[in-house]
Amino acid sequence: MTEQGAGPPSRSYQSSPGQFGRPQPANLADILERVLDKGIIIAGDIRVNLLDIELLTIKIRLLIVSVDKAQEMGIDWWRNDPMLNASAQELTEENQRLQSRIDELESDRSERGD
Amino acid sequence: MTDTARYAYAVARHLDAAAVDGVPGVHGADLSVVRHCGLDAVLSDVPLPEFDEQGLKQNLEDFTWLEAVARAHDDVVWAVASSAPTAPLRLATIFLDDDAVRRRLEELQGQLTEVLDRVEGRAEWSVKVIAPPRGGASESPAPTSGAEFLRRRKAEAEEREQHLEDGTRAAEEVHQELVALTVASRLLPPQDPQLTGHRGTMVLNGAYLVPHDAGMAFADRVRDLGARHTGLSVEVAGPWPPYSFAVLEEM
Repeated sequence: MTEQGAGPPSRSYQSSPGQFGRPQPANLADILERVLDKGIIIAGDIRVNLLDIELLTIKIRLLIVSVDKAQEMGIDWWRNDPMLNASAQELTEENQRLQSRIDELESDRSERGD
Repeated sequence: MTDTARYAYAVARHLDAAAVDGVPGVHGADLSVVRHCGLDAVLSDVPLPEFDEQGLKQNLEDFTWLEAVARAHDDVVWAVASSAPTAPLRLATIFLDDDAVRRRLEELQGQLTEVLDRVEGRAEWSVKVIAPPRGGASESPAPTSGAEFLRRRKAEAEEREQHLEDGTRAAEEVHQELVALTVASRLLPPQDPQLTGHRGTMVLNGAYLVPHDAGMAFADRVRDLGARHTGLSVEVAGPWPPYSFAVLEEM
């Protein structure tokens, strides 16, 4: 999965009532979200619970985990839960790095007797 | 025919079979429509070994396979939704034969009819709000000491955190305004930048159910909100098939 540039957001507007307008190319994240986490669940003759399957990576799992399910798991994304939020995760890590660097410096200073 | 199963994409009402003529299903298979109890199920043949319990467990771990099936599923749903009220089904809804499909339509007739009533004449719109990445460290004069450097880094980290909080608050405002305009709404988890390619943090990923004739007004309103929140990227996309609102009521 390569990093794409941040191009202009795809937009599509109705040309006439009842017409579904399709952004091209369809974004894979949107498609996976729709077909894995939405739509009607009807018990077919083959029973597979998508959420029980070790899907690919934790990232895909997070992508398709529904809000209801996330809340059950105690994830409240409005509060930028690190589990669902890469930036919050980075901040947490950076804070940890800074804190340990400060500890190092302070212990250096106390050794030097400053 | 024991090696073939029936893959079900969607249930619709008054579907003109010509609407799905020539639309390729999973692996390019032809589509067919099974009509029963006033409901139309859109189906295609798939190889059973690939879609039985064992096959699915294995194949869903294969990203290339998953992407191909997901895209085909979505393409069919779009084609159906473009011409009739449509309830999309979840990926990989598999039946052994058409009789099994008819039995299920009969069992769920009441609920499926309710869903189609709810989405008829309406479409789903997606609104995403992205807080752009905070600019990196400014190239101001070099810090005079290690402690100064660290203080600066900490201040930058706090600034970024503040920036994210502001974005989240703005996203919540946008969502509340849109809720007031729409029939129904649903909040979704933010999407992964690795899949979308977006830069920054997705602070809102909302789905809104909007009547067909109000779609343009809805999109305009989202653009107004975007203009008001200059620091954020506000994206609107639609109309889409009503994926987020096709749910059977809890029994």
